[in-house]
Amino acid sequence: MSAKKKMKNADLVPSRRERKGVGQYILGFFLLLYTLFCALPILLVFIAAFTDEKAITQNGFSFFPEKWSLAGMNSVLRYGSQLLTSYGVTIFVTVVGTLLGLMVMAMFAYAISRKGFRLSKFLSVYLLIPMLFNGGQLSCYVIFTSYYHMKDNVLLLILPLCVTTMNVIILRTYIVNSIPLELMEAAKIDGAGEYRTFFQITLPLLKPSMAAVGFMMATTYWNDWQNALLYITSDDKKPLQLLLVNIQKSIEFLLNNANVPASARAAMGGNIPQYSATMATVIVVIGPIMVIYPFFQKYFIKGLTVGSVKG
Amino acid sequence: MKSFLKNIWHHRAHVIMALPAFLILLFFSYVPMSGLVMAFKSYDYSAGIWGSPWNGIENFKFLLASKATFINMTKNTLMYYFIFTILGTFLNVVLAIAIDQFVFKKCAKVMQTIMIIPVFISYAAVQFIVYAFISTDTGILNNALGMNVRFYSTASLWPIILTVVKMWNSVGYGSVLYMSVLAGIDTELYEAAEIDGANKWRQIWHITLPALIPMITVMLLLSVGNIMRSDTGLFYQVTRNSGSLYSTTQVIDSYVLNAIFKNSNFGFVAATTLFQSVIGLLLMLFANGVVRKISPENSLF
Repeated sequence: MSAKKKMKNADLVPSRRERKGVGQYILGFFLLLYTLFCALPILLVFIAAFTDEKAITQNGFSFFPEKWSLAGMNSVLRYGSQLLTSYGVTIFVTVVGTLLGLMVMAMFAYAISRKGFRLSKFLSVYLLIPMLFNGGQLSCYVIFTSYYHMKDNVLLLILPLCVTTMNVIILRTYIVNSIPLELMEAAKIDGAGEYRTFFQITLPLLKPSMAAVGFMMATTYWNDWQNALLYITSDDKKPLQLLLVNIQKSIEFLLNNANVPASARAAMGGNIPQYSATMATVIVVIGPIMVIYPFFQKYFIKGLTVGSVKG
Repeated sequence: MKSFLKNIWHHRAHVIMALPAFLILLFFSYVPMSGLVMAFKSYDYSAGIWGSPWNGIENFKFLLASKATFINMTKNTLMYYFIFTILGTFLNVVLAIAIDQFVFKKCAKVMQTIMIIPVFISYAAVQFIVYAFISTDTGILNNALGMNVRFYSTASLWPIILTVVKMWNSVGYGSVLYMSVLAGIDTELYEAAEIDGANKWRQIWHITLPALIPMITVMLLLSVGNIMRSDTGLFYQVTRNSGSLYSTTQVIDSYVLNAIFKNSNFGFVAATTLFQSVIGLLLMLFANGVVRKISPENSLF
């Protein structure tokens, strides 16, 4: 697309797109300002994590701290095993949830896009209804805990977020528009069964769309704190986001209870959260997504665009 | 009937493929819908949803009677929906046009990558960042301006704070959709306009904006279905769920979350949720109907 545009512009010199007047620099200045607005808060997390604790308590947070320190990062290691466990839980939930979701949604999208399949109309409506109407958090909470007895079950971090209407629509749109029907028919003529056609022809061709959907799902799983807060109680199933929420809660507790006896504070030992350590924890939690995201950017931008068009 | 069954048998592989997603939706979306009957019951934990006694529309009467809470959270939900939608759409479009007009493409690409990052940071993490800026003793804002504002107990400031946080979080990402539309505009249109003597602003006004109108309309209409829903994390985490801020920060979703933790009157909460869901459903159907009229290819169903 853009290559074609450049070709078109080549004979028009100077083209609209290549003129670099003062206006461009003013525009650039404003864009830079907005970029800084987006980036600086994140930068602050990194700076605060490496700021000396005393510098924060005395002078407040700053982009130019008086004294740097590794203490914050070190004390994150004090959470030690819990942090490691939480990392494990989050990674498990993210990976299993994303892969499971992609697989069942791709199969569903494939099934409802088959011509002549008389149930596909019903299944499409069945898929659509949860987007229009849902029971809400409370019903889910009561049903999942009192009827399914799944309180404190890691599955509750995975299954409720696993199948979403919009994602299935994105996958189905891609199957209908971008995968030639002839290819699948040819495979069938060559004697491949339905399953083989799906797994060996359709699924590999579905990769770009799955990358987009998969990345969005992975960030949803990675960032989910609500289900964890509602359902997870034991330490060995706490995901990273819940760890963050708990840190905040304990800060709150200490702030609101100035008269917590010294002995109780001592009992909490190294667990009294400090500013720099908290920020270091934030880095540990948001770091992986920020590292991975640029590699997926082009996929999810494409996915977003496809998703806006109905199949 | 027989041919129908034959058709199903013929497509049995597809039935099996659709089954896992079908079951997940059944157990995690459809069954919870039935929980809404709590809205018509006096919920008793030990008796369960079905065993609890019916109480007709008592919960709804209670809903209307407890005006303060109910009206406040509904008002906040609507207020933030309008601020976020109007301001958000405006900024999305402005940013998309700005990036599209910028000729240093490599530079624009890097900037855009940075602008999108905030959307991937969970609110559980964002609230610590916000805290660093606005805490009373250690916050950057108070230090820089030499003030001593107690942000976490001053409710009147929160519509602004939450709006800034929400825009920081979502504008970069939201503009991507509009940029894809702009990329599809034929450059010859601009060239023709330039030959006719139209300057940049006129080009934007007469070519760029009209090209964006359909997408803007569709996105606005589709967002109407979520009018009663909010970004729970923003209102629950970023405000630190502080009670003294409820007058301007309590929305229906965060109220429900709090109610679950406090184990308060579930029948009452279910009535609120039902109210929220039904309004959402009606508006969604209405919006989709309108979209189907003006731009059929963009309607959801």
